[in-house]
Amino acid sequence: MNALLVNAGGLILMAAIVWWFWLSPSGGGEPNHDHSHHH
Amino acid sequence: MNEKTDLNDGQIQLAVTGANCASCVNTIESALKSVDGITGAHMNLADRTATATGHADPQALIRAVESSGYGASQIEDPDAADDRKQEEDRKQYKTLLVKMAVSLGLGLGLMIWGMGFGTMMVTSENQPIWLTLGVVTLGVMAVTGGHFFSGAWKAFRHHNANMDTLIALGTGTAWVYSMTVASIPDALPEMARHVYFEASAMIIGLINLGQALELRAKGKTSEAVRRLLDLRAKTARVIRDGEEQDLPVEQVRAGDHIRVRPGEKLPVDGEITEGSTRVDESMLTGEPMPVSKGEGDEVSAGTINTHGSIIYKATRVGSETALAQIIRLVKKAQGSKPAIGRLADRISSIFVPSVMLIAVVSALVWYNVGPEPAVVHMMVAATTVLIIACPCALGLATPMSVMVGVGKAAEYGALIRQGDALQTAGKLDLVILDKTGTITEGHPAVTRFHATDGDTRRLLALAAGLEQHSEHPLAEAIMAKAKDQGATPDNVTRFEALNGKGVQGELDGQTARLGNRRWLESENIDLAELQEEANAITAEAGTPLFLALGNQALGVVGVADAVKQDSEAAIRRLHDAGIRVMMVTGDVDGTARAIAEKTGIDDYRAEVLPEDKATIVSEMRGKGYTVAMVGDGINDAPALAAADVGFAIGTGTDVAIESAGITLMRGSLHGVADAIEISRATVRNIHQNLFGAFAYNSLGIPVAAGLLYPLWGILMSPILAGAAMSLSSVTVVTNANRLRLFKTTSNAGKEGNQ
Repeated sequence: MNALLVNAGGLILMAAIVWWFWLSPSGGGEPNHDHSHHH
Repeated sequence: MNEKTDLNDGQIQLAVTGANCASCVNTIESALKSVDGITGAHMNLADRTATATGHADPQALIRAVESSGYGASQIEDPDAADDRKQEEDRKQYKTLLVKMAVSLGLGLGLMIWGMGFGTMMVTSENQPIWLTLGVVTLGVMAVTGGHFFSGAWKAFRHHNANMDTLIALGTGTAWVYSMTVASIPDALPEMARHVYFEASAMIIGLINLGQALELRAKGKTSEAVRRLLDLRAKTARVIRDGEEQDLPVEQVRAGDHIRVRPGEKLPVDGEITEGSTRVDESMLTGEPMPVSKGEGDEVSAGTINTHGSIIYKATRVGSETALAQIIRLVKKAQGSKPAIGRLADRISSIFVPSVMLIAVVSALVWYNVGPEPAVVHMMVAATTVLIIACPCALGLATPMSVMVGVGKAAEYGALIRQGDALQTAGKLDLVILDKTGTITEGHPAVTRFHATDGDTRRLLALAAGLEQHSEHPLAEAIMAKAKDQGATPDNVTRFEALNGKGVQGELDGQTARLGNRRWLESENIDLAELQEEANAITAEAGTPLFLALGNQALGVVGVADAVKQDSEAAIRRLHDAGIRVMMVTGDVDGTARAIAEKTGIDDYRAEVLPEDKATIVSEMRGKGYTVAMVGDGINDAPALAAADVGFAIGTGTDVAIESAGITLMRGSLHGVADAIEISRATVRNIHQNLFGAFAYNSLGIPVAAGLLYPLWGILMSPILAGAAMSLSSVTVVTNANRLRLFKTTSNAGKEGNQ
């Protein structure tokens, strides 16, 4: 059971990385929509 | 001024903080490009400035950079910005050292505790102590490594990942795991109840140390610009209303008269109105010998008056001086990226997410097939992969070398306009030289003179006496020679210039003539005696001018556009570098052949019209050569632009030559050889850096993932990965700094002769 959870978790994490950094629409950097932040 | 607008108009410069790696460069560039009105953006990691091209509100650009996770401020006065940046760098250096001391202190303390006195295993007795130490570690991580976490978070929100991401994930994973062990040790197998707080603290400490060392080495790479900045005089002795007063150089206006005493620096560009001297221009042109200057001659800011006291009129002040233009040019070129560097950027933008995937994969493999305690191994492998893969060395590899290389070239009087020219110059295998002004002096000079009775001074006195009334370029050459030989021009009357023949006048009631053979022979003057000497002049591409008084031939003067003293040696250096040398000229075949033979040029094209030079350049490129065109930058502009690299030979300090990739401040062909040698050394240095950075990552990641474990049982510790990562950026920066010691063969030759 543990093994299944860990492996599934890992695969989901990998899918999430691919999706977030490469596939999601705002990927590749379109940072201009957040003007609330001030350094 | 034109030059100023070209460089500054439509460009907004920002000082960027928090950028550490190649992926930051991509993030910042695309953030800037996404602002309305911006057509291009360029970030220079080496000096942490970004330049946006187009028209936009600077505040919008700053907001764009800030919202992608970095800090930015506009650079309005580049000089002040430079001083401020130095000050900030010094402060940041100190801060980094303090942070390093705190985090390394905690990490080392924990390590010594674990190894010497206690244990890193959590038991029911020491559980409260570990929980407390976990909280302390978190505090230290937040104080000394908070910038990694905030940077990583800001990037993450915008679907970006950078070096901060890897450090934050690596150290964060180790801490979360350790804290889990400390909180609920019973949930894990006994062997896995090991904490890694010391790893988190040590890694942050080591990376802070690496960044501190990097900052210091970076300071050295911009020395070339600082050296130029230091050339600026602070004050000027201005003569206003008949009174001399010392004024700050900013208050000098064009038209002011300035006195400069021997040994003093010239504060602005101008023209000498009183006195004569020798001026050391080596800092601008690379020309080692001081140059004689007299009334009417132009002088440049930053040069040193070595000899007499002069008064000169300011013509260009402030940001318009040649020195200010050079500084702008060098800075701009230092920030530009050759093609090879853009490749590294593209690679590293996909690199960080890939590393995260590799970390997850190796964690899963360890979990599924690794030995017990599997949980510990998977955590160690993932952390180590994340830490060792930081692409900072990759991001620094190119800009560091370009910065040093461009600065080095400037030291030799070669101003490189873009990084691309630097890269291409290293690959050249054919150099095409314009003749006039490039191989030769560009103006006629007396090369030989011969008097029938041996009295050359009398010969020159009469020739100068005739020519002093003429405005022909040949006249200038003869006047200069007469002056040089100490011959006072005779008092010739009834001067007359005869087109296509020569000049004539009267001396002591006799007709004096200086001109070509056909004319003098038609006046029944016998020139047979001078035939041999005349032939020698023609063979050297010169023009013989015969002189006669009455019916008596007095001698012959050879005038030619003399080959520059060092042209032959410079061409030999090009040959030694394996480069073919070709000459193009509008001159007749005979003259061209004489010059080619004298200087050792491989090939020449004579009677070429100026507009056909570009065609020849294209033709040679078509034959597969990587071609450099060397010319004067004004007439040869199309040919310079058509070549792979255009070298404009500047006269003195005239740097406003837009068509060339490289401008040579000194009128010597040695500059071409110097620039090529420096380019080759720089490209070699970039290759070493990129190879090192790639090799480091491609070897480090598999080792960190545990590939050596099945063979030899080796699993790298995350702390070692942190040290290796810092070391790799320090190595790259140090290797780039090595370029500063590079000497071209001209220098070696010079030293050898001394």
